[in-house]
Amino acid sequence: MSDIILALRNATKLYAGVAAIESVDFELRRGEIHALVGENGAGKSTLTKVMAGVVTLTSGTMQINGVDAAPRTPLEARHLGIAMVFQENSLVPTMTVAQNLFLGQERFYNRLRGIYIAAQQFLQSLNFDVTPTATVGMLGAAKKQMVEIARAVLHQAKVIIFDEPTATLTPEEKKYFFDLVRDLKRRGVSIVFISHALEEALILADRITVLRDGKHVVTDDAVNFDRARIVQAMVGRDLSNTLYGRRKTTVRPAGARVLTVQNLKMAPMVKNNSLSVFAGQITGVFGLVGAGRTETFKVVAGVLKRDFFHGGEVILHDKPVRYRVPAPAVRAGIAYVTEDRKVEGFFETMSVARNIYLGLLAKVPGGRFLLSGREADRVGGSWVDKLKVRTTGNDMKVVELSGGNQQKVVIAKSLVQEPDLIIFDEPTRGVDVGAIVEIHELIQQLADQGKAVVVISSYLPEIMALSDRILVSRQGKVVEEFSALEATEEKIMYAAVH
Amino acid sequence: MIAALKDFADRFLGRGDATITVPSFDGALKPNQLLETAETVGQFDAPEDLATDGKALYIADGAAILRLDADTATEVRRFDRVITALCCLPDGGMAVALDGREVQLLATPSASSVAATFSDSSISAINALAPGPRGTVIATDGSTQRLYRQWVYDLMERGRTGRVLSLDIASGSVRTLASGLQYAFGACTAGDALLVSESWRHRVIAIAADGSRRTILDNLPVYPSRMSPASSGGFWLTAFAARTQLVEFVLRENAYRRRMMSEIDPAYWIAPKLKSGQSFLEPMQGAHIKTMGVVKPWAPPRSYGLVIRLDATGVPLFALHSRVDGVNHGIVAAVEMDGALFALAKGPGRLLRAPLAMIDQELRA
Repeated sequence: MSDIILALRNATKLYAGVAAIESVDFELRRGEIHALVGENGAGKSTLTKVMAGVVTLTSGTMQINGVDAAPRTPLEARHLGIAMVFQENSLVPTMTVAQNLFLGQERFYNRLRGIYIAAQQFLQSLNFDVTPTATVGMLGAAKKQMVEIARAVLHQAKVIIFDEPTATLTPEEKKYFFDLVRDLKRRGVSIVFISHALEEALILADRITVLRDGKHVVTDDAVNFDRARIVQAMVGRDLSNTLYGRRKTTVRPAGARVLTVQNLKMAPMVKNNSLSVFAGQITGVFGLVGAGRTETFKVVAGVLKRDFFHGGEVILHDKPVRYRVPAPAVRAGIAYVTEDRKVEGFFETMSVARNIYLGLLAKVPGGRFLLSGREADRVGGSWVDKLKVRTTGNDMKVVELSGGNQQKVVIAKSLVQEPDLIIFDEPTRGVDVGAIVEIHELIQQLADQGKAVVVISSYLPEIMALSDRILVSRQGKVVEEFSALEATEEKIMYAAVH
Repeated sequence: MIAALKDFADRFLGRGDATITVPSFDGALKPNQLLETAETVGQFDAPEDLATDGKALYIADGAAILRLDADTATEVRRFDRVITALCCLPDGGMAVALDGREVQLLATPSASSVAATFSDSSISAINALAPGPRGTVIATDGSTQRLYRQWVYDLMERGRTGRVLSLDIASGSVRTLASGLQYAFGACTAGDALLVSESWRHRVIAIAADGSRRTILDNLPVYPSRMSPASSGGFWLTAFAARTQLVEFVLRENAYRRRMMSEIDPAYWIAPKLKSGQSFLEPMQGAHIKTMGVVKPWAPPRSYGLVIRLDATGVPLFALHSRVDGVNHGIVAAVEMDGALFALAKGPGRLLRAPLAMIDQELRA
């Protein structure tokens, strides 16, 4: 029997013509722990989703035990012996552990007592200290992981894929989780795990594969890696020919302090976070997924609430503020341009002009009783011209626009409020290259006009191209600050993962 | 009644006045080691203040005024009481505050006779002097309740009796420009206005000629102190200690503070200090300060050293730090002379010199 249990050859997955992974070769050996690392958007999740049957390849092949296989659904993948444990686990919180374990295997008549006994015996055989009658919603993160793993083993998975398994675990739980993974390896199960914590990859994995921009960079034994080599492989792109290749030679000086966040807490994502934002500057905020960047600024903008007890302080223009909903924050001059434009950014079946006009109405205390279609057209039209939104007319629906133009509408909706502080969360996610340039120019103009601008991005080159100062967030708080002149991708990434 | 309920709710929820937070050192205040790596020009027994007439640097050391000549300090005048503030006047004279209760004017720094004396029963903690407009001297009186050397008592009692005084040299009169300040400590003229550090409010305010006040710099992560003009416009602002959440917490726990003040030696209070790490009895020296016996530079500071460069509008441009693992703490005065910044670290009793070119080079690196 071949040593390779799962292999992907020349794997490519396109989303609307954009390659999430491109010509990736990947091999998983029998009984090995294989770590997949890379920046956000490097293609790790897509690659594992292909293995687990969540998405199918656009081109390329996948082999299991040397035989071509292309699971089209997670159920098909499960029948092939592949199970995936998602970061946001897929258990039903209102059901018991035993019910979750046997979910999908119900018969016409289910004897609950029998399920509990079987679950108890099975969990004991795995040495998992989980009560089968406990409701899953009441369990801690580590116990939920155990149930997920147990379910994978119960389905006789030979390959288990973990997506960020330790993100929600405490240090003690992590240690326990590592022991579990090693135990699975002893049982001959092959493990693929995605992690942003490089030390975990170095400690746990037998081999490490680094992906960058959807392409395979390197696969090697973990002993041949150190942190520096992984970081270099993760970020070492050729910057000379890209949109973001220009290095900053000057930065804007800081103006007056507009925003101060002091010891902000929003469990479990934001932990004692403190930072300042200054007028006339672009403050870039970098961090890996789960670093608490978005949540911090959502609290500032009143989209999320900080902790009820001792949640810290947000000071805007030297005055403490506490927004429970976004409207007062908008009136105070804070604009938050969401990272999820389709859900939070616009009303997709409304026209471009009406969407922009809504932004203006949000600033009027109590709203307006009478709305003016003419004013909506005038306001919307002027912003469509200003931001060069490519539409066939003001009455064109937002859903009909391209991603870049949709993003411009979301930005216009915020800028029409004439804010002092503008927070861009992943401003160019899912945006075409041409629109990226225009959005970047717009952000630069806002800073030149003396506005305080925050750019949250998981894409390092974007942070480096835009920012005058760069804050690096890790595990819920800002841990490092760089001037754009001194920052390098390696330094930033080191601070983000160290 | 409603205020009492709000106060109770705030204390319970950790909100409003009961919020125990401190701003971070970021932006222009991003930490570095510039004060720690600055050259030590001299070590003194009880240094208090610096003054310069552009040609020479004068140091108030205990009861003596010293002049720095080629890195050698020479005594030019001695008084019968300790000096708490010093400044050079445009006419070549010098103003000296003695024991915080009296200001004497000298025709020259070494003059044996006193040209004028300002004293008042209400003056108790003159801690900074600066030349004012139209033949006046500006004095900040930190507290009318406590002596200058008892500044930490004033903080723990949440004193708000600080004043800014204008001493008219010609008439000998004393005029109060501002009162009710939470420890006024340092002043500097800026055009028609007067900039004043208000230490316990962690801010710098501008007092206009008509007496109106405007906040220039607020919510500092430090306790600001004396100021001096910078040669290229703007100011140097010193800070003698940094704020911590622990001290902020103690400052709102009245009963605890009262017991601490009555039962514990002030040297070991949970309060900002000008130097630390001297005794195992000091609070704040657990694992949050040290790892494997090494002091963490980013740990909560019991003492700290900081000089902030402000532009003409009061916006911070950059700062020089001596962090928690350093020794040049308790910076109470900084003046610029001959292309270098001289700073007085009262904690270790050191006079430090940092050439402006070196500061510029380090900050660009």
